[in-house]
Amino acid sequence: MTGGSRVVVIDNGGGLLKAGFGGDNDPIAVVPNCIAKSPGSNANSKKWLAADQLQAQDVDVTGVTLRRPIDRGYLINTEVQREVWERVLRGLLQVDPTNSSLLLVEPQFNPPALQHATDELVFEEFGFNSLCVADAPSLVHLYEASRQPSLFHSQCSLVVDCGFSFTHASPVLQNFTLNYAVRRMDLGGKALTNYLKELVSYRSLNVMDETLLIDDAKEKLCFVSLDVPHDLRLASLSFKDNPFRCSYILPDGITYKKGFVKDLDEARRYCSLPVEGELDKKDGDRDIDKDRKKPELSQNEFALTNERFLVPEMLFHPIDLGMNQAGLAECIVRAAQACHPYIQPVLYQSIILTGGSTLFPRFAERLQRELRPLVPEEYQVKIISQENPILGVWRGGSVLASSPDFDSMCVTKSEYEEMGSARCRRRFFH
Amino acid sequence: MDGEEENPGPFRRTSSRTRRMASRMASALSSSDNRAQAALARLDALESDNAGAEVVDLNDDEYGSTDEEDHVLMQKKQSKNMKRKTRQGKALEKRAVRSFMDVLQEANLEALPPHVPTYLRAAVGPPSTSSRRHYCSVCGNSANYTCPRCGTRFCSCRCQVIHNDTRCLKFVA
Ligand SMILES: [Zn+2]
Ligand SMILES: [Zn+2]
Repeated sequence: MTGGSRVVVIDNGGGLLKAGFGGDNDPIAVVPNCIAKSPGSNANSKKWLAADQLQAQDVDVTGVTLRRPIDRGYLINTEVQREVWERVLRGLLQVDPTNSSLLLVEPQFNPPALQHATDELVFEEFGFNSLCVADAPSLVHLYEASRQPSLFHSQCSLVVDCGFSFTHASPVLQNFTLNYAVRRMDLGGKALTNYLKELVSYRSLNVMDETLLIDDAKEKLCFVSLDVPHDLRLASLSFKDNPFRCSYILPDGITYKKGFVKDLDEARRYCSLPVEGELDKKDGDRDIDKDRKKPELSQNEFALTNERFLVPEMLFHPIDLGMNQAGLAECIVRAAQACHPYIQPVLYQSIILTGGSTLFPRFAERLQRELRPLVPEEYQVKIISQENPILGVWRGGSVLASSPDFDSMCVTKSEYEEMGSARCRRRFFH
Repeated sequence: MDGEEENPGPFRRTSSRTRRMASRMASALSSSDNRAQAALARLDALESDNAGAEVVDLNDDEYGSTDEEDHVLMQKKQSKNMKRKTRQGKALEKRAVRSFMDVLQEANLEALPPHVPTYLRAAVGPPSTSSRRHYCSVCGNSANYTCPRCGTRFCSCRCQVIHNDTRCLKFVA
């Protein structure tokens, strides 16, 4: 059925869509999963830009209105999704869907109504000739196990996926996600970006309309603190002594089309700080401050200090945001505890971090510190960061798509037409 | 709601969508506490795509139905386009206001037997220790004081003055 034709693999993330061909090491397209329209009323303003068009060097994303197909992690707007897929499949992958299979990564617990809408999009709108649906944790496990078989001889792992829309801790056993044990926090990169927007807008510059730019600032400047009270004290020092202070420049539409970090060395200063205490000792080798005056900020510039670590901090303490949910460490423990006691020690030994929000510097180290006291002493806690947490799920999909029994996992277009969505879906076990 | 109507400038993002959501959630909690409502609206805003009026935008000319412009994506067979348009026309009416939360309600997951894993049952649940840390709304430092008028946190006299002068009752949080 699919022999000869290629398998298109799509990890349809809420923030980034990753698409390419099964068997390849990397996807061809890693693009924003959204469409956007510029503000203003000039001739181009009515045009929606999709996916990679938003990444073009000459595109200024200031003030764009965004449409995302995905809400809270689930494909809710197939109209917008179709626009993005059109662009990605025909424009970037240059593939004919009617001649291809699709491996689609779908969120767990996808309500049937949304499964049907997805099937419609895949079979009726695009005309793929077969579809396989897989969940992210099992693909991450598959990928890591295929790379380092010795690490996963016990056949299980606990996949922590901290992405754009939400965060899941999912135990995986023999390539199956134990869905009864999955635990979810309703916090991901999107909420963190919006939180940073809120803080910057409240404290310095109105950036409420600059989601894509603040997203960039977040990715480049935020990090996880290993000692919040200590870092807060450092952050309250005056300008030159404050190791966290740095600024981000927004595009001005003339000289700069893209936002950027004003001074990368300044932004990296915190990396060379001693991790705990010892604040005063360090003063010796610090530059003598020439001026302690407040540096002037230009109109298109904002400075960050404690926001840099208070934003990712919310993943560890959502309660600080007023969100009545346990933090990441407890989320992991609850997922493990929902499994048979026999596999719990093994789960704690193979915690795999994936998803773009795990890219904040010191994320794994902080998690290790929070997790250790919550896990029984006799168990080892081992956290494995994926080599590329943004592509990890896609790469697992690529491995699956090139496995010999992939065809048997697919539903064909004719099966779909014969039996309808609901019955076909039973094949995917979730 | 506390000061919602007079929100100036940057904080207009309490769109009608979030307002609607907030009132729904608030009624579920049968709470008359305005601050609690405002806090829920704010959490909801953390999941929104754009700062301002999302609902208005959807009534705007939708990308798909303005085919006359040379949209790169729309270079498609005319017949297919026509079919699409009508389907889209119908779909937009429904989907324009449909969020994941709406779909979730329709799915009626509570009715499933307790052993079936669902979206709702996968929620991590409240933290075991509920000690909330508060940060100064002005500068981000640990905040030990609360504004008696609006409930916003601040850390020092200096930040209190800034808060009183420029921000008090202007932001719901
Ligand atoms: Zn303060
Ligand atoms: Zn106040």
